Amino acid sequence: MERRGFLRASGAAGLGLALPACRPLQGLGIPVRVHQPGLVEGHRLRDGTPLPTPTRELRTGVAILGSGVAGLTAAWRLARDGHDDFLLLDGPEPDGNAAGGRFDSPSGPLLHPCGAHYLPLPSMESRGVRALLFELGVIKAEPFSEHPRFSETALVHAPDERLFFDGAWHEGLLPTEQVNAEEAGQHRRFLAEMADLTRRRGRDGLRLFCVPKALSSVDAEWRQLDALPFRDWLVARGYSAPSLHTWLDYVCRDEYGAGPEHVSAWAGLHYFAGRGGHAANAADGTVLTWPEGLAFLTRGLRARVPTARQQAGHALQVDETREGVRILCQDAAGAFLVHARRAICAMPLHVAARVVPHLRDYGFDPARHLPAQAPWLVANFLLDGFPAEPPDAPLAWDNVIHGSPGLGWVVSTHQWLRAAKPAHTVFTAYRALAGQAPAEARRQLLTLTGDELLELAAVDLKQAYGAFELWRRTRAVHITVRGHGMAIPGCGSLTNPGLTALQAADGRLLFAHADLSGYSVFEEASWWGERAARLAANS
Amino acid sequence: MHPPQNAAPPPAGNRLPDRLLILSVFIVASCGLAYELIAGALSSYLLGDSVLQFSSIIGCYLFAMGVGSHLSKYVDDRDVLARFIDIELLVGLIGGVSATLLFLLFAWMAAPFRTTLYALVFILGVLVGMEIPLVMRVLHSRQASFSELVSRVLTFDYLGALAVSLLFPLVLAPKLGLSRTGFLFGMANVAVALWTLWYYRHEIPRLRSRLTRGALVMAFLAGGLVVSEKLTHWAERGLFGDEVIFATTTPYQRIAVTRWKDDTRLHINGNLQFSSRDEHRYHEALVHPALQTLPWARSVLVLGGGDGLAVREVLRHAQVERVTLVDLDPAMTDLFTRNEYLSGLNGQALSNLRVTVINADAGQWLETHSEVFDLIIADFPDPSSFGLGKLYSVPMYRLMGKHLSARGVLVVQSTSPWFAPRSFWCIDATLREAGFHTHPYHAHVPSFGEWGFNLATRQPGYTPPTAYSVPTRYLDAETTRLMFQFPPDMQRLPVDPNHLNDQRLVHYFQQDWSNVVR
Repeated sequence: MERRGFLRASGAAGLGLALPACRPLQGLGIPVRVHQPGLVEGHRLRDGTPLPTPTRELRTGVAILGSGVAGLTAAWRLARDGHDDFLLLDGPEPDGNAAGGRFDSPSGPLLHPCGAHYLPLPSMESRGVRALLFELGVIKAEPFSEHPRFSETALVHAPDERLFFDGAWHEGLLPTEQVNAEEAGQHRRFLAEMADLTRRRGRDGLRLFCVPKALSSVDAEWRQLDALPFRDWLVARGYSAPSLHTWLDYVCRDEYGAGPEHVSAWAGLHYFAGRGGHAANAADGTVLTWPEGLAFLTRGLRARVPTARQQAGHALQVDETREGVRILCQDAAGAFLVHARRAICAMPLHVAARVVPHLRDYGFDPARHLPAQAPWLVANFLLDGFPAEPPDAPLAWDNVIHGSPGLGWVVSTHQWLRAAKPAHTVFTAYRALAGQAPAEARRQLLTLTGDELLELAAVDLKQAYGAFELWRRTRAVHITVRGHGMAIPGCGSLTNPGLTALQAADGRLLFAHADLSGYSVFEEASWWGERAARLAANS
Repeated sequence: MHPPQNAAPPPAGNRLPDRLLILSVFIVASCGLAYELIAGALSSYLLGDSVLQFSSIIGCYLFAMGVGSHLSKYVDDRDVLARFIDIELLVGLIGGVSATLLFLLFAWMAAPFRTTLYALVFILGVLVGMEIPLVMRVLHSRQASFSELVSRVLTFDYLGALAVSLLFPLVLAPKLGLSRTGFLFGMANVAVALWTLWYYRHEIPRLRSRLTRGALVMAFLAGGLVVSEKLTHWAERGLFGDEVIFATTTPYQRIAVTRWKDDTRLHINGNLQFSSRDEHRYHEALVHPALQTLPWARSVLVLGGGDGLAVREVLRHAQVERVTLVDLDPAMTDLFTRNEYLSGLNGQALSNLRVTVINADAGQWLETHSEVFDLIIADFPDPSSFGLGKLYSVPMYRLMGKHLSARGVLVVQSTSPWFAPRSFWCIDATLREAGFHTHPYHAHVPSFGEWGFNLATRQPGYTPPTAYSVPTRYLDAETTRLMFQFPPDMQRLPVDPNHLNDQRLVHYFQQDWSNVVR
């Protein structure tokens, strides 16, 4: 604990010292736009800013508070099942972690993700996600079978991944061909063990690891892994290969916003063994992606919710009354009250902790039960042409640098049906600020200028192409800062009694957010959204 | 022992050597500019984007000259004349061979080309930048009036630049070519070195060794001048096998047209696209088996095929009212529309009133337009990259299907069923996966070898024509019948269709051809 604290402190000091020194972009004139969704609204709540007086009132059956994936899914399900007595409140960031954006490049508009950018082939149990994909034309046939047929425009096109390892690009993200026989053997053993765990079931007959997490086995033998850091599990299982650890560090940061030392072994294994989805027309492990990332899905969901049921504004306070729920909201025009029979809190839990004063009554004590949240940067680079690539390693959809603090970048135009490279493209670079304690990293983030954020976000692109080539091509940068990007499924996350309580809540307030699962993925948010819609509709 | 420079001053009033130095200034300035222009022209010619190439070459060169001027101050006063001569020899040698060296380098190894180019330009710039300051110092030690000196030297400096800036584009580049121009100016530099050496022979240390070196460099450059023509031809043959009569680099590809006797060939990125001797076989086979069976066809879409040769064959069918050609590269369609000789090959097809030429990416154009055609001809380059592979994918064929009238036909150039059998049958499988009935066929095109096509229809049933209503040189009833038969050694292979998520075709293609080229 002490050592970790020291490392964090020194990491933070390093960050603090290094940043003020580098401001290379101020002379280059590249426009950098920084977007911090929900920051102002969230911090007003945190700082206890006096609540405004409402000037108008709305009434509805079910109020859905927040329009990320969980809120949108709840609204879509209600609308699909023929309900129209509900109201979807946008919240401060419509589409949440599945938001997208666009650049108007000289050669036309270019869509890009501002958050999550892909969806793995859904598990058999993710029926709601499969139904959505079928409705959106992403699944073409047999949506609930073992091997649905997916639209080829959404299946990631070849070449899908490449890794910069030992000075050169290689296919795939795990450098099995590039390391010695001993390390390569460990890679193969690890993958075989994960494949085995994907198939295994607990004593209760349920899959050991399942997406949605709620359908995983509760077999105590396996649940114990919630108490063990993933890295310790790896070491105990004899996985010592540095290349494997570097890769898993990347995987954990990419999926959970923190490295294997902070993530529980249960969560680490869940990533590999939880889905096991197949496709009739693609190999296992293929992913679905769109130029705008998962904003393709949120756009599809939103289009299926009548606009009359959508309401701008965000919730400031939620109270339960004798008749139902009273929600104080605010939009650009001022404050208003929403009276509803029931409300679905489809907001992140650190926000719910401020908006729902009596959250403790539901068994959730924010001081004890709120999971740590990883801060993220998503940086979109509008490029004029493509940087030069070595002829034998063409640009892939996902490009990762082995051992980098960055998480690589994806190419927004990769799925275009074009023979020639388009005149302009967008590279989306990801970085979870995992090198220091999340709260400390957030404090740092608040002090950084656009150029300093850019330095953090461009680390991989600069290493791959060199600063000159990168800035020569870059026309604009759009950085999305997600201070509370996602819950980290650390040790104890699975047995967190606060989360368990909110998962089971069935009172006037229902909860729906990926935070209930302890980590942020589309299928979990969708699962809780669907559950809340089902319960709300039954009342 | 070095004789001190002032030991034997030239007799007063003898102005000849100084006039000689002024003449040297004129020549040195000419050479300096010439190397800069050669580097700029060569890089524009080989790399494209002439504004960028010229600007960056000139910038690098001028900067290097600045470095050279700065470095000149470190030359000791006693060594000025000797250093000037050494530098002249060096400039002559490096500048003289630069164009030929770069061309050879580009022909065989593209990778270090830019690095070498800029390194050469920088070294030349540094050396040339030292020349004028050294000349001025030589003259200054002999002449009293500094103002007159500066004025005379700079006047001849700029006059030399003017002379070359006019001579280079008007006479030297077109008549001599870049390589020989380089050698010629190199020899001029060495000549300056040699006569300066001779006139100041009493002041120069180690005269004999310098004279020998000068003579050797001169002989080397003269030799280069004689063989450079052969060398560049050799380099071009290294690239294409024949003499290049036209070459350009566009944002999309490198286009080169070569000619040997009556055989004109088009290469894209080094790959042969057609030979004028037998292209009629390829294009007749591509167009007529389909179009002859569509007497009702009014509209035809040609994708790729910017050389207009497929369009030429389509236009032979009088029933066709409009032909739309969609090709990515405007440089390609412009070349085959405007160039007198090349547009002669396609019979001015691209200027025909029935033809509309559109420069767009085929996928983008098909996605954003809704026009329906009776015949679509996909005449794309071979699927050698992931980008090109998308043009042969299931979604692309589905997209083409949406642009096809109910009884319309799609014909796809499908690589060689002999050299690249898995690629050929993969295209066939991809078309079937996209819902078409396929009718594969092949033709023998001597410059390509055995070549394959896929004729795809929505409904089953297609009967190859037994007679043609248009004049043909290759096709007749018997040839056509044999085209649709595959002998036992070219039978269908069990291969996967080309889906975008794995692009099997690109892998098949690379494997197939790596088996051929050993």
